[in-house]
Amino acid sequence: MNFIVCVKQVPDTTEVEVDRESGTIIREGVPSILNPFDEFALNEAIRVKEKTGGRITVLSMGPPQAQEALRKCLAIGADEAILLTDQAFAGSDTWATSFTLARAVEKLGKYDLIFCGQQATDGDTAQVGPELARQLNIPQMTYVESIEEIDDGSVICKKETDGGYQRVKSGLPALLAFISTPAFEPKIPSIMEVMGAKSKTLSQWGIDDLGDEDGDYGLDGSPTQVIRVYSPPQRGEGVIIEEPPEVAVDKLIEYLESEGII
Amino acid sequence: MDFQLTEEQKLIKESVRDWFARNLPLERVREMDTKGHPYPQDIPKGLGELGVIMGTVPKEHGGQGLDWFTQTLIAEEIGYADPTIACAAAFMAVATGWGYTLDKYCSEEVREMAIKPALKGEKFVGIATTEPGGGSDVAAFKSTAEKDGDEWVLNGEKTFISGVEEAREWGGGYWVNVRTGEPPEDAPHKNMTSFFVPIDAEGLEPDKPYRDAGRNALSTGGFRMENVRIPDSYRLGEEGKGFYRTMEGFDNARLLIGASSVGVTQRILEEGMKYIKERKTFGKPLAKYEGIQFELVELYREMEATRLMTYKTAWMQDKRYQDGSFKPKDVAKWISMIKWKAPHLALEAANKAMHWLGAAGYSDEYMFEMAWRGVMSYCVGAEGGENIQKIVIGRELLGPDYVPYK
Repeated sequence: MNFIVCVKQVPDTTEVEVDRESGTIIREGVPSILNPFDEFALNEAIRVKEKTGGRITVLSMGPPQAQEALRKCLAIGADEAILLTDQAFAGSDTWATSFTLARAVEKLGKYDLIFCGQQATDGDTAQVGPELARQLNIPQMTYVESIEEIDDGSVICKKETDGGYQRVKSGLPALLAFISTPAFEPKIPSIMEVMGAKSKTLSQWGIDDLGDEDGDYGLDGSPTQVIRVYSPPQRGEGVIIEEPPEVAVDKLIEYLESEGII
Repeated sequence: MDFQLTEEQKLIKESVRDWFARNLPLERVREMDTKGHPYPQDIPKGLGELGVIMGTVPKEHGGQGLDWFTQTLIAEEIGYADPTIACAAAFMAVATGWGYTLDKYCSEEVREMAIKPALKGEKFVGIATTEPGGGSDVAAFKSTAEKDGDEWVLNGEKTFISGVEEAREWGGGYWVNVRTGEPPEDAPHKNMTSFFVPIDAEGLEPDKPYRDAGRNALSTGGFRMENVRIPDSYRLGEEGKGFYRTMEGFDNARLLIGASSVGVTQRILEEGMKYIKERKTFGKPLAKYEGIQFELVELYREMEATRLMTYKTAWMQDKRYQDGSFKPKDVAKWISMIKWKAPHLALEAANKAMHWLGAAGYSDEYMFEMAWRGVMSYCVGAEGGENIQKIVIGRELLGPDYVPYK
C-alpha cells in the first residue's frame, strides 16, 4: 500500500518565550522540531506499514531548512521524502498550503491513505488536513487515535469524541488526522538509521514541478492573512490564601474589599 | 573551515539527547550514584542498540565507522545526561577509547569474543595498566609475561581499574600491559607488551572494589594474575611495542572524557541558571547579583572556549587516522590540553554552582554535588591526572630533554 504522511517543521514551543514589550513570540535561537502530532502520525504509519507492507512518502511544505525535519522522518522509517519549497509558496495560509500539498499528492499518483497530524503546534488551526481532503475530494476522519483494521478497500479507525470514542469505517483512499496519546513514545532513530537515511531519496519540488501556475499558491492564493501575532498581556503574581475554608473566606472577602473589587 | 554540523550529526545529537531524557533522567543518575555499582545492564545494551558505543570501530568489524568528531559530539551529549561521568559517559568513553584501539590491534578471535559483544553493550572492555607501584608512571609496572610454546604466562597485579565488577558480571576483559623482557635502563617503556586478558581467565583473581568519593555507579577495583595462561592470539600489536599502543588508547579515551566533561559543564550551567533565576534573596533573584552572574558568564565563556578546543582536537584526531596529516604527538598535545581543561572546568562549575545554592547545592536535592564528586575522578587520575597532561604538553612545547622522567 502507498502511504503519504504530511509533516511540518515547527519551533519547539517548550522553548518559546514571549517578548514582554511587543507581546510577540521570540523565534530567534529557538530550535526547530518535527510537529509532535505529525510525529505521532508518522509512527502510526510505520506501525501499519509493518503489517501491510508498502511505501511511506513524507511530504512537507516549508523553507529549505525544513529538510532537516524530513531527514529525521527518513531516519525514523519513511522511505522517501519530498520538500515543497519555493518563494512562490511564501505567505501561504491553510487554504494555499492544502492546495499546494494537493498538487504534490496528485503528482505522486496512486495512494491509499494520507496521514496528517491533527494540528501543528505553532499555528494550531487544525485546518490543513481537512482542507487537503476537500481539495482531493476524498473522505476524511479527524481526531484519530489509531488504525484498528485496514485492507485493500477500507480502513477502520478509533476516533476520539467529546464523550468517548467512535469506531469509524471509510473506503480508500482517505485522509486521517491524528491526535496524540499521553503514553506515546516516539521512535528514537539509532545511529545506523540516521546514517541509513542519508541514502534515501529526499527531493525538493518547486512551483515548476507542481504546475497549475495560476493556482492558489502563496500569499496571492491565500484568502486569509494574519495581521498580528501576539500573546495576551502577562498577568501579575496572584495571591494565595493558605488557610482552612472558614478563615480563608473571610480573608478573601477582606482582600476583595481592600482592592475595591467588591 | 566550517563550524556547521551536518544533518546527520544534528540528528545523532538529537537521538542521543532524546534517548537519555527517556532512559536516564537525572533522578535515575542520582539513584545509581546512591545505590552504587554494578550498574544495570539495560543502559549499555540500550546504548549498543542506539549504536553509540565504539561508534568509530569500522563497519566491517561490526561498528558504525563514525568519525571521531561525531563520536565526540555523542560523548558531549552523554556527559550532559550523566554529569557524574559514571552511569553512561564513563562506560562509553572507556569502551570506545579502548575498544576502538583493541579492535585495531586484536586478532579475529578476540574481536569475535570481546569486541562484537561489547559493541552491543553485552560485555565490558577496558584498560588495566595501573599497578600498586605505579600509575601515572605507566612504564613503572612490574607484571610480566613469559612465552611458553604458543601461550603466554602472565603474573602480576593491577589496581584502580574501571569496571571490574561490571566485567565480572557481564563478561569481557581488559587491555593489560606486561613486561616481556628487561628494558634498557634509559628506556623503561621498552619491552612492554599488551594483551587482551578475559576477566574469567583461570588464575585471575579480582579484588574487592574500592569505595570512591564519586562516580559511584561504576566500580573501581583491581585483580591479581597468577600464572594466567593465554594464547598468543590475544597479543595486541607487536611484542615489545605495548607502550606506544597504550598511549594511542589513552589518546582515544581522553578525547571522549574531555568531550563528556564539556557536556557536564553545559548541564551544570543550565541547571544552575534555572535556580538563580527563580531563587530570590533580599527581594531579588540571585541571577541579578554580579557576584553570581559574573561567575556564570565566566564559566560560560570558558565552556565555549573548551568546546571549540575539543572540536578542533576531534578534527585533528580524524586527520591523524584518515590521512596522517597530524602526527600522534601533535594530537596528543591537544588531547592532553582538553583532558586537563575540560574536567577541571566542570569541577569548577560544580563548585561555583554549589556556592550559588548554598546548603541546597551541597545536598542530594540537586545534581551539583554528585557532578562535583564524579568529575573529580578525571581531574585526579582516571585516564591520566592533570599533572600527567601537563607533562605531555610540556614535552611537546620544550622538547624531550625537559621531561621530568629523564
